[in-house]
Amino acid sequence: MEGLLTLWHDTGIYHFEWKQLVMMAVGALLLYLAIVRKFEPLLLLPIGFGAILANIPNAGFTDEGGILYYIYHIGIETGVFPLLIFMGVGAMTDFGALIANPKMLFLGAAAQFGIFATLFGAIMLNVIPGFEFSLQDASAIAIIGGADGPTAIFLASKLAPHLLGAIAVAAYSYMALVPLIQPPIMRALTSEKERAIQMEQLRPVSKREKILFPLLVLFACILLLPAATPLVGMFCLGNLMRESGVVERLSNAAQNEIINAVTIFLGLAVGSKLSAKYFLTLETLGILVLGAVAFAIGTASGVLMAKLMSRMSGGKINPLLGAAGVSAVPMAARVVNKVGLEANPQNFLLMHAMGPNVAGVLGSAVAAGVLLALVG
Amino acid sequence: MDITELLLEAGNLMLVGMISVFLFLGLLVIVVQQMAKLCPVESAPVAAKKPAAKPQPATLNPKLIAAITSAVQQYRDNK
Repeated sequence: MEGLLTLWHDTGIYHFEWKQLVMMAVGALLLYLAIVRKFEPLLLLPIGFGAILANIPNAGFTDEGGILYYIYHIGIETGVFPLLIFMGVGAMTDFGALIANPKMLFLGAAAQFGIFATLFGAIMLNVIPGFEFSLQDASAIAIIGGADGPTAIFLASKLAPHLLGAIAVAAYSYMALVPLIQPPIMRALTSEKERAIQMEQLRPVSKREKILFPLLVLFACILLLPAATPLVGMFCLGNLMRESGVVERLSNAAQNEIINAVTIFLGLAVGSKLSAKYFLTLETLGILVLGAVAFAIGTASGVLMAKLMSRMSGGKINPLLGAAGVSAVPMAARVVNKVGLEANPQNFLLMHAMGPNVAGVLGSAVAAGVLLALVG
Repeated sequence: MDITELLLEAGNLMLVGMISVFLFLGLLVIVVQQMAKLCPVESAPVAAKKPAAKPQPATLNPKLIAAITSAVQQYRDNK
């Protein structure tokens, strides 16, 4: 009888607390979104599964010695995983469209306003009792507006590790929701005529320019903003491997094997942060709301900047391109293309939108560097 | 009072952050534009290759054609 009781005390059923059950349900919801709705499945699937594992009572996945603890410790606390992902993204990125039309960098810069406006908003939330965001917390939350998962995780792991789970989930969920969030804002801020503007074909870009570009970006970063060099440096390394053409094997490894393996562990480690203690708080709700606001403001400021540039260029730039200034590669560019086609069936903006899109990646990395330098 | 201080700091961050992002990417715009002037597009080698490839069919030697024809004929006759 005694033995039976001990066994009973060791079962999951005996130890379950309602909070753990809720978190497992959150994990299951993420799995559902990934598998059935196909929302960023590459990340939401491991995150969802990690959330379920992390909330199993008595299994000790996230205690010292548990596998999720070590994955988090090695990969995220050190900042290694997001940086490896950035290298892979660099190896997958073609800067051709941006080099052909460098002014698009301004759109990538304008869209970062979403980040800094949200920083302000997060501090404002402190007025409501129950919220206590420090400047570090606010910065980590605001970076969701950069629409760049690895950057958000990198910054959160440095500035506000206790909010990392909620921030990562918000960042990836909103990236999946780009096709729903952006079009209404884009339509509201532009006229039918502006959306129908067709753009001139981009000039061809030489191989030499493509090789020099990552080196120039790195050089500028070294001189002006060393705090951003971890992100920008890994990104440029990946891109140089791609464009140099002499290390095709390394470039392939960076954009396939390495990034795939790291994605699994990154997802699991983020999921391990979805424990009841840190996630079932009022702050998470605030983060979800702020993330959506950040996204919306980033899109709007990008579109407004593009409108300004369109006026100044005498109507040669389609203002929709501004929406691609938030990174979310290549989803935001596809959305721009789709909305452009609705206004004018001859209007193919995809290639043009890739310019501001990759500029947005650089922009959010720079913004992260600025925040790290000023707040970290 | 604490919040006003934080808000001031957040506003300051917003200003400094946006200015530095714009300055950094603005500098890149100038650098990339300069780079484009220094790097001519490599359309020249492509243009040079094409005319060299075209004349080939025209210069097919009539003697060569005759030689091949006779060789084929001889081969067929041997059968």
